[in-house]
Amino acid sequence: MAIFQKLAKGPMAVNELAGNLPVSRPAVSQHLKVLKDAGLVTDTKDGTRRLYQLNPEGIALLRAHFDRVWEKAMSAFQATAEQSKPRGKHATDRRSRRT
Amino acid sequence: MPQIEEAVVRKSVRVGVPVERAFSVFVEQMETWWPAEHHIGAQPFETIFVEPRTGGRWYERDAQGNECNWGHVLAWGPPHQVTFSWHLGPDWKFNPDLAKASEIEIRFTAEGPSATLVELTHSRLERHGEGYQQLRSMLDGPGAWVNTLAAFAKAAGGAL
Repeated sequence: MAIFQKLAKGPMAVNELAGNLPVSRPAVSQHLKVLKDAGLVTDTKDGTRRLYQLNPEGIALLRAHFDRVWEKAMSAFQATAEQSKPRGKHATDRRSRRT
Repeated sequence: MPQIEEAVVRKSVRVGVPVERAFSVFVEQMETWWPAEHHIGAQPFETIFVEPRTGGRWYERDAQGNECNWGHVLAWGPPHQVTFSWHLGPDWKFNPDLAKASEIEIRFTAEGPSATLVELTHSRLERHGEGYQQLRSMLDGPGAWVNTLAAFAKAAGGAL
């Protein structure tokens, strides 16, 4: 998502965002609206322009959510991989079941 | 200007098994280790399937045979690498739109005959933007929860 990555560098106006992206300005505006509705982007008025910036809290929350998911999942994966040494029968069963 | 965190989560673990074994447990026996509370069907999953090819499905199946999609295999490179699309926001609902899906890449690197480094990168998390509202609404007030979660994310990320 190029818009998101560009905004990570700092606040920007729509035409700056659209300037070097291979998408139309309406498409950029539409996408900004989605991000804004989601709470990931906020906007402020700067004279006649409107500047868009990322909401750091939004990113932090999304990261925290997935971080918790994977922290738990990867620990469980590690424990399972190490405790269950190759089980011939089970492995064969599973393979035949899946093909 | 506040530093914006990258919308990426990285995790790595070392496992004392050969690389082929690590890969196999990860993709062929996912139901043996995936946290059971994270199922998206109405019933708990019995099996989690990864179809072993690029473009393959990634899905769970419950005891009654009902299937729920999780995502797709974007790249299949056994036993060293697999990439998935992830279509589940924080609400654990499947969204088929690829533009709303994040990406998970897992790399398996042999460090010895029985030692494998497993590195997971879950990127493009901003594509689950709508889910942020749900996370936000779970918070009691602006402050405590957010800071705890943010601190946790930082600590966990920094531990790599």
